Amino acid sequence: MSRLLSTALSLRRDPRVLKLPPYLSFLCVLIGLVWLLLLPLDNYCRKNYISENALLPGQVHTYFGGSEHHVLRAYRNEVEALVDQDNHQINDKLEEILRGFGVKVGRQSYTYHAAGHEYSGENLYGILQAPRGDATEAIVLVAAWKSIKGELNHNGVSLALSLARYFKRWSLWSKDIIIVFPPDSHTGTQAWVDAYHDAHDPKHVAPLPLKSGALQGALAIDYPLNHRFQSMHIIYDAANGQLPNLDLINAVVNIAGGQMGIQSFIQGMRQHKGTYRDRLRTMFRGMLSQGLGTAAGPHSSFIPYHVDAVTLQPYGTGFHDEMAMGRVVEGSFRSLNNLLEHLHQSFFFYLLIQKDRFVSIGTYLPSAMLLAANFSIMAIFLWVKSGQSPQSTSEDRGTKAGKASSEKEIGSSLSSGAAERGFIFPLGLVIVCHALSAIPLYTFNHLPAELLPTAFAAFWALSSALPFVICYGIGPLYKPTQQHAHLTKAFSLLILGMALSTLATLNFSLSFIIGLLAAPLSFVKSTKSQVLNFSISALLNLISPPAIIFAAASVYGAEVGEVLREASFGWHIWGMYTPVVVWAVWWPAWTIGMVNTLGLAGE
Amino acid sequence: MRLLVSWLQLLLIAPSLLVAAASDYHEQLTLRPLPFSSVLASFHFRSNTSLTDFESQNFRLFPRSLGQILQHAGTRELHLRFTLGRWDAENWGARPWEGTREGGTGVEMWAWLDASTDEEADQKWLTLTNALSGLFCASLNFIDETRTIRPVKSFQPEGHHSAETLANTRLLHGVLPHEVVCTENLTPFIKMLPCKGKAGIGSLLDGHKLFDASFQSMAIDVRPVCPPGEDCFLEVEETIDMVLDINRSKRPQGNSIPRPVPPQDLVCDQSKPYHSDKTCFPIDHLGSPDWNLAQVFGRPMKGTCPLADPEVPPVCIQVPGSRDVFSTEGSQEKQGADGQSRCYLLDPNNDFTLALTNLRSDDKATEEIVKPEAPLLYADRSFTGYGQEHGGVQAILTNPSDEEVEFVYLESLPWFMRIYLHTLSTHVSTSTATSTNSSTPNSDIIKEVYYRPALDRARGTQLELVLRIPARHTVFLTYDFEKAILRYTEYPPDANRGFDVAAAVITILSPRGMNLRTTSLLLYLPTPDFSMPYNVIIFTSTAIALAFGGLYNILVRRFVGADEGPPSPIKAKLAQLKAKFMRKPAATVQQPTEAKK
Repeated sequence: MSRLLSTALSLRRDPRVLKLPPYLSFLCVLIGLVWLLLLPLDNYCRKNYISENALLPGQVHTYFGGSEHHVLRAYRNEVEALVDQDNHQINDKLEEILRGFGVKVGRQSYTYHAAGHEYSGENLYGILQAPRGDATEAIVLVAAWKSIKGELNHNGVSLALSLARYFKRWSLWSKDIIIVFPPDSHTGTQAWVDAYHDAHDPKHVAPLPLKSGALQGALAIDYPLNHRFQSMHIIYDAANGQLPNLDLINAVVNIAGGQMGIQSFIQGMRQHKGTYRDRLRTMFRGMLSQGLGTAAGPHSSFIPYHVDAVTLQPYGTGFHDEMAMGRVVEGSFRSLNNLLEHLHQSFFFYLLIQKDRFVSIGTYLPSAMLLAANFSIMAIFLWVKSGQSPQSTSEDRGTKAGKASSEKEIGSSLSSGAAERGFIFPLGLVIVCHALSAIPLYTFNHLPAELLPTAFAAFWALSSALPFVICYGIGPLYKPTQQHAHLTKAFSLLILGMALSTLATLNFSLSFIIGLLAAPLSFVKSTKSQVLNFSISALLNLISPPAIIFAAASVYGAEVGEVLREASFGWHIWGMYTPVVVWAVWWPAWTIGMVNTLGLAGE
Repeated sequence: MRLLVSWLQLLLIAPSLLVAAASDYHEQLTLRPLPFSSVLASFHFRSNTSLTDFESQNFRLFPRSLGQILQHAGTRELHLRFTLGRWDAENWGARPWEGTREGGTGVEMWAWLDASTDEEADQKWLTLTNALSGLFCASLNFIDETRTIRPVKSFQPEGHHSAETLANTRLLHGVLPHEVVCTENLTPFIKMLPCKGKAGIGSLLDGHKLFDASFQSMAIDVRPVCPPGEDCFLEVEETIDMVLDINRSKRPQGNSIPRPVPPQDLVCDQSKPYHSDKTCFPIDHLGSPDWNLAQVFGRPMKGTCPLADPEVPPVCIQVPGSRDVFSTEGSQEKQGADGQSRCYLLDPNNDFTLALTNLRSDDKATEEIVKPEAPLLYADRSFTGYGQEHGGVQAILTNPSDEEVEFVYLESLPWFMRIYLHTLSTHVSTSTATSTNSSTPNSDIIKEVYYRPALDRARGTQLELVLRIPARHTVFLTYDFEKAILRYTEYPPDANRGFDVAAAVITILSPRGMNLRTTSLLLYLPTPDFSMPYNVIIFTSTAIALAFGGLYNILVRRFVGADEGPPSPIKAKLAQLKAKFMRKPAATVQQPTEAKK
């Protein structure tokens, strides 16, 4: 042990070791990337399985059918008659129907403001009390009036109504069933869930007049189709890349596929042949939506409160009717009803590459961690380098022979080779750059939507000009040295590395994407040739945060303004932190990278 | 002559009547249809024994098993409750028996024990709970000191006690919110009845129906009663209240799955424009369905209990006078004491049933049910906040009446829920408009506070508040708490389910005595991942192995100078090997140098 330590200690003075980090760093990026690409292979992912034995998916007969279909048609007629009415009139009618069969009904109004718009509405919900329960636990069925895409969710709402009437007859419920009808799929459930947990802002969101026990799970139906459907899309992403317990997804897939014969798919991958390509695409789609951190459906708002939820969205034209969908919900509710404990077995961190295959956190996390480690390695390397005075390397070689001798000698040689580090300028620069990130963060989250494209263009111009201002305007006043340049970069990369490795445990995809986009920042440095510097900085400008946002928006055919409006909406309503990561972690690192490329030291 | 015979008969019966007064038995079933096709069935059994008989262990109608336990544990008065489900006050109105015969979800018991010291009381309480646990097949023995409190304000003795006996008794109260009441608790309950389940109203008690009820509460109350000028006697009352869903109860035993009805049996609203043979807006939930006693209870009533007082009609039903009720032939209808109910005296040897017909939907004039009486107070309690560290409790207490209501609010909380009493606050709003909140100072609402703080692992929190709510006002009572972290062996096997927190007990003092209870709550505590200990063991073992290895090596090693020690055998071997290798090439290639030497 002690010998191992002394060998390691002696190695650290080896000049070969000091040359190693950039290569090591590059290797980290490379391995991280290859690692991710290996994940869809059979050896690195696992087949899904139900970990919570109490769920017993698909083990019960479902009886929703027969004359219930007549009732469903009637309710659909009622719902379709309400199309042009306003939120309150719709809720009046739904309340009348729910009260008709003895369900307790509550209403809650809310108003949100984001990007200059006002989002207001009224949630209606009914509590179907478990016949023999004591209001300690509840499961939730959500049917938003408007689907995720903004269409009328008429089948979803009428299905929820007839299911409520049907569930009322059963005496086996051990948990209350709450049926929520939010006016839309994006804001309503958030207001409702916040108020249920008393985490709402009373200025904007009203409290709930009725409550039940602890929520154990939730299903949302997003069913705007007018015809029979072919397969079922399971949407599971929540804001900030949080995911529901894998058991819930598995149970629903199992019930839909095994019991009802309905094929399900995830991440919009309708045709999934189980090939490497398809798996990789599914994984990338999943990572993208996780990385963006937007809420994918009405179920998303539940997950931050540790209530597992998914949205079920029938898709395509096939032979399954509404009743089949109803039986899927019935089967899933029977499974959730069986739960003795909160869903806690299985996985909360996973990448699904197919509806029945997943990669667990232990397998995928190293790739993002390696990317983040690359920055930390470079930061440490630059720190060590900044501590060496220019002549110390030659001295090093001289003392190499006497290295095996006593500690004292090493100590003295250290002091002779070390240079005093000047902290004030590098630290100040890094702090100022990070502080400046408050500007985009505040502006983009508080401007009205109409001004956002203009503000974005202005910020892009400012952001591109900032490194030049620092290098040629402010920098020379402080007469920065090469050491200052090293230290600036070291601090900046250190923050980036720390932030990204922490983020990797919370939102793997976001950390990975940012890590990949920022990877060049650890390798850029100013050269003697000014022309080369400018060309590298031009290339760096291509991967600046505003440029990437613009490029991504145009690839997906969206307006930049629309993307920013969505981000602002997410920030205010879902508490989405992606803008913080982009503007307060990535953008300052990029700015410092640019400054370093342009040559802070002014050689 | 006939007169003489009847006089003689009277003379003969008289002594037996006197005996019956000292030890008599009374049973009655009251049925009350409720909104949304429910029916409340209240079974009431009362028997008593004189104190002298009780002390000489001469049990007649008083259950011996219970009597001996009470004697052994020195119990003056006992109240035991088994409850499942919740009372829906909004639809069903005031509770039966003014809420005095029900408990919180699970099992609740309180008793006055003969004890001069608290230690003695604890000892007797332990005896009592363990004995009753065996008798009623319930986990009453889990009512340990952490779940036992000594209420000060909430409970008053119901029986007649002299001042000196009261001074020497202690009141203890325990509650088990997680206990699931089921048939194994019903069987011993029925066994204590003089006629068991063989005859009388007891024959209607079927576990399948009772435990399928939307709300059910079984209660046992034992108390001494001293009528003025007469000898004291001990009275045991057994009460079962259940709210049956008629549609659910009517399903036959063998086919209890609520399959969708055949399309032709659906009751549809035919006035809807879209109504067709494939589209039906159901209206079958409107109006109460027809039912009869044998259907809802799964069996008819088997005559009367011969031990019961024949003067008391065994079955009563509370329906508006305009509604038709049909009963089995041979029974005799009587107007009930309150004027709203009809009671039936039955033929003691024949099965009895009672039938209510469905009202025609066009007959709007007839009242279906007696309108439930509004309760004095609505109470709703829930947790606020989220996360694993802190939480809050909010109790919403609404006074719908026109009078001021004063009551005692009792919370018995587990020790791991550490409440912050300084956060206890109230805010008031009028029931009609919640927006016009007025913040009344605490002192106007909370009159008195009795607080006994928890001790970790030793006793729970007891919080009693005397509150007063003005007419038509709602009070929001809130307080915060901190969640304790348990030792990992203290978690139950289903740790992730959470921990049940017992219902709050509300005892209304004025305008009239009444009881109600909130629902129980489920508290999530920070729960460890139970595979963690294994990971920790593996980690620490590795760390210790590494550290210990290095340390041990340094400790046992003898340090000598490099030149003093014997040459390392490995080094010698290596040197030999080296020499061998060096020699070979030297022998072949470097021949000239050697020659030079």
